[in-house]
Amino acid sequence: MSLKLCSEALSGCSGCEMSLLNTGGGSLSLFDKFEILHMPILMDHKYLGCNGGDGGIHIPKAGVGLISGGIRNEQHLKIAEEMRRQCDIIIAFGTCAAYGGIPAMMNLFEDKDLFRRYYRTAEATDSSLNPTQVIPPFLERTFALDEMIAVDFFIPGCPPHPDSITAALESIVQGKSLELPLLSVCDSCPAKREGKGSVNKIRRFVRNARYQPDRPVSEMRCLLEQGYLCMGPVTLAGCAGMNGGPPRCIDVRVPCRGCHGPVRKGGNQLMDILNALASNGIDTKNLPDRLSSLRFSGAHGRLNWRFAKA
Amino acid sequence: MEMAYEDVNRHETQFEMKAMSLSGTHPGFEPRILAFTCNWCAYAAADLAGTARAQYPANLRIIRVMCSGMVHPSLVTEAFEYGADGVLLMGCHLGECHYQDGNEKAQMRSLVIEEVLSLMGLEPERFRLVWCSSAEAERFAAIVRETDEALRSIGPSRFRKNT
Amino acid sequence: MRETVAESGCASVREITIEPVTRIEGHARIGISLDENGNVAEARVHIMSMRGFEKFIEGRAAEEVPGIVTRICGICPWQHHLAANKAVDGCFGIEVPPAGRLLRELTQVLAHISDKVLHFFFLAGPDFLVDSQQYETRNIMGIARQAPELAKRVIQMRYRAQMMLEKFAGRSIHPDAIVPGGFSKPMSRRERDELHAGAVEQLEFARFALDFAREHVFSRFNAEFLKLGEINTGFLGMVNGEDGGLSLSDGILRLMHPDGSFQEFSSREYTDFIGEHIEPWTYAKFPYARGWGEGFSMDLDAPRGIYRTNCLARINVADFIPTPVAQAELLEFRSLFGRPAQSTMLYHWARLIELLYTCEKVIELLEDPRITDNYIRSDAVPKAGRGVGCVEAPRGTLIHDYSTDENGFITRANLIVGTTHNLAPINMSVNCVARDLIKDGQVTEEALNRIEMAMRAYDP
Repeated sequence: MSLKLCSEALSGCSGCEMSLLNTGGGSLSLFDKFEILHMPILMDHKYLGCNGGDGGIHIPKAGVGLISGGIRNEQHLKIAEEMRRQCDIIIAFGTCAAYGGIPAMMNLFEDKDLFRRYYRTAEATDSSLNPTQVIPPFLERTFALDEMIAVDFFIPGCPPHPDSITAALESIVQGKSLELPLLSVCDSCPAKREGKGSVNKIRRFVRNARYQPDRPVSEMRCLLEQGYLCMGPVTLAGCAGMNGGPPRCIDVRVPCRGCHGPVRKGGNQLMDILNALASNGIDTKNLPDRLSSLRFSGAHGRLNWRFAKA
Repeated sequence: MEMAYEDVNRHETQFEMKAMSLSGTHPGFEPRILAFTCNWCAYAAADLAGTARAQYPANLRIIRVMCSGMVHPSLVTEAFEYGADGVLLMGCHLGECHYQDGNEKAQMRSLVIEEVLSLMGLEPERFRLVWCSSAEAERFAAIVRETDEALRSIGPSRFRKNT
Repeated sequence: MRETVAESGCASVREITIEPVTRIEGHARIGISLDENGNVAEARVHIMSMRGFEKFIEGRAAEEVPGIVTRICGICPWQHHLAANKAVDGCFGIEVPPAGRLLRELTQVLAHISDKVLHFFFLAGPDFLVDSQQYETRNIMGIARQAPELAKRVIQMRYRAQMMLEKFAGRSIHPDAIVPGGFSKPMSRRERDELHAGAVEQLEFARFALDFAREHVFSRFNAEFLKLGEINTGFLGMVNGEDGGLSLSDGILRLMHPDGSFQEFSSREYTDFIGEHIEPWTYAKFPYARGWGEGFSMDLDAPRGIYRTNCLARINVADFIPTPVAQAELLEFRSLFGRPAQSTMLYHWARLIELLYTCEKVIELLEDPRITDNYIRSDAVPKAGRGVGCVEAPRGTLIHDYSTDENGFITRANLIVGTTHNLAPINMSVNCVARDLIKDGQVTEEALNRIEMAMRAYDP
């Protein structure tokens, strides 16, 4: 007997859904375990029962509710609330749902500045008033899912690795709780550590890291030790799935940017990385664009245009 | 250096008068101050302030840590999230740290703390990093009094629930 | 299940809402208003959300932006990744070394493959391939039940195309491997050989896909079906600047009138040719051909300034396709439908022709000996400048236009996302189908799905 599942995507990008399609190693075996009742990207269940209807959002009852994307406008909120009512278990699927994700960077700006730019001053745009008909109004900022509804499980990642998705959904089907080991990306990073050395300033990633082209990544020196800003120490491990593979960005010789979210649920990736650098005597005042360290976790009030310095 | 009894008395009276006048700005507001004090210097100073009866506001809570350098910024931010109006981080004078350079780390971390607090919308005056040696009982008390005074004019923290 | 108007018991239904539009990417609502005779007065596609990327990348260090804007779309992140990198190259004045350019083009074109397979089989395919048109089965799971071998192959091939990217470039979704100045790591000979084998397999599948579609889907494209959502528009696409052949990575833009005549311009000049119109009932803007000097109108009888992008547009504007198998298919297509072909349903056919091109192109790039060179990135020095990065994303011409200050921070950005060029045409196609199929207040579920099919063809 398969478990009923409903899925919705709010202020996200469908990347989590694409990763879901990559589960099962090129089969859709995950889909055999679930009866999908609502999932707009793949199947045709609609919100409204009757043509014209009551304008409401109607989602069928299900055991599992998978929600990707954060909450940005009134419709997202209504969908999230309906999903909470109808689904026994709600999963915040992906970094946007869990922490706000990239769209929460909009919390650095006032909406009125966005509208002015987008509808009036953008190049090639025929200046106009803000659209307001039919479309749902924005809420005051972008929220993570658990700021508005109770969430039972979190699957972080941007997107979560297909193996992590499978493991998570399988635990849930078996009624087990989901425990992600509280390790940082550094824990699974094969790069060589030799010590801080002479690094006392962070440099921007405008030239490639030093590595031997035909040697494995385990022979590359840690990117922080090379002087690049790598968010590995303050990011949850597991972006490469459950098999202990190297972190995906490090594998292509690029520093981690923290897309798997903070190590602990309430962690502040900006504070933690600045602290890690400062504790090692690295001058953080010259770090360019520090607010970008919160690019994946800007919900929960972390990014706030009222307080953020330009 | 210890102050003469009369001076301390006068200082206290002046302090009380100031407090009474300032409490008009935020009536009924008693600032809640948390101080992280290092075991070897600042905590000893606090202890000495007690035995020497140097006067400082009762709304101070002290957490003793082994070294100012062990205070992670999240301890400070959590203190504010729990409703502290002001937080002090107190350690040994530079060059006198019991663990060599722990206070230097505290100094670098305090820059991080300041930045994060401003992103939380908290006024910079709410957090202070100060050095205080074990003999400086009166200095300890004066620091707390000054902090209390400053907080009375700034007002309650935006995180403070209505208690 | 939706009831028809007649059975609904709702007194006089004047408004019909299809929401969410399914088997597309993103949030859309189709709103149809009927007049007092039960005929369509207006049909509109409302884009229900907006995130504001062009605003919040202001103030970011420019070299970080290509890793942020991938999150505009989880189906086509490589396109935003490359366009953003090209824009930053323009701001910083960097020349990319040959191996870097080859790796960039390879990953970007390779990313088209899984996108097209996804669209034809998972998203649009169920409308054509599932026998019982009950909504519960009209999806990839329904295809899997009805034709398990086909489904298995299709799912496997899409997965393998994604894994080719994942294995070489770390991630298929939200990559980091393209960087300002080039690429982050070189390709080894072993990786090249593995990718080559994978690409040959993909090409074989692409041939199968077109043959299969020709037999089971396009054979049913009779003259009447081809009228579904058909409108008369211009077309925009990238071509090779030297010979006018199809190009997805580098080239110039060609804007074709409905009559087949065209103008060419470099992407840097896009503001001279493309304008963006705003309507009060949707968050998204409508790009239109301002350069034609006729303004903007979505009126079905007298459209003004309307052009389309995406695969049908690209094969219309290109003089030829520079790879043999796809070119042969294009010649056959043109003998049947002419140039430019206007029928919206032909997007599906064009998509599979382009799928052939992308597989052939990936093989060609992998066979270029320079692709395994170690020199893949020029160093960049952040500085003030302006850059326009343009690529052909699966959904259409993608433009990232950035300016930086003397520290290399973004001061302003303008983005025209591939799908948006098609928003006005989508509205028109939806309007067209709605008027044809909804009359005298009679609404069936099949009709409503047909209206969605007119939108789905554009792969929005």
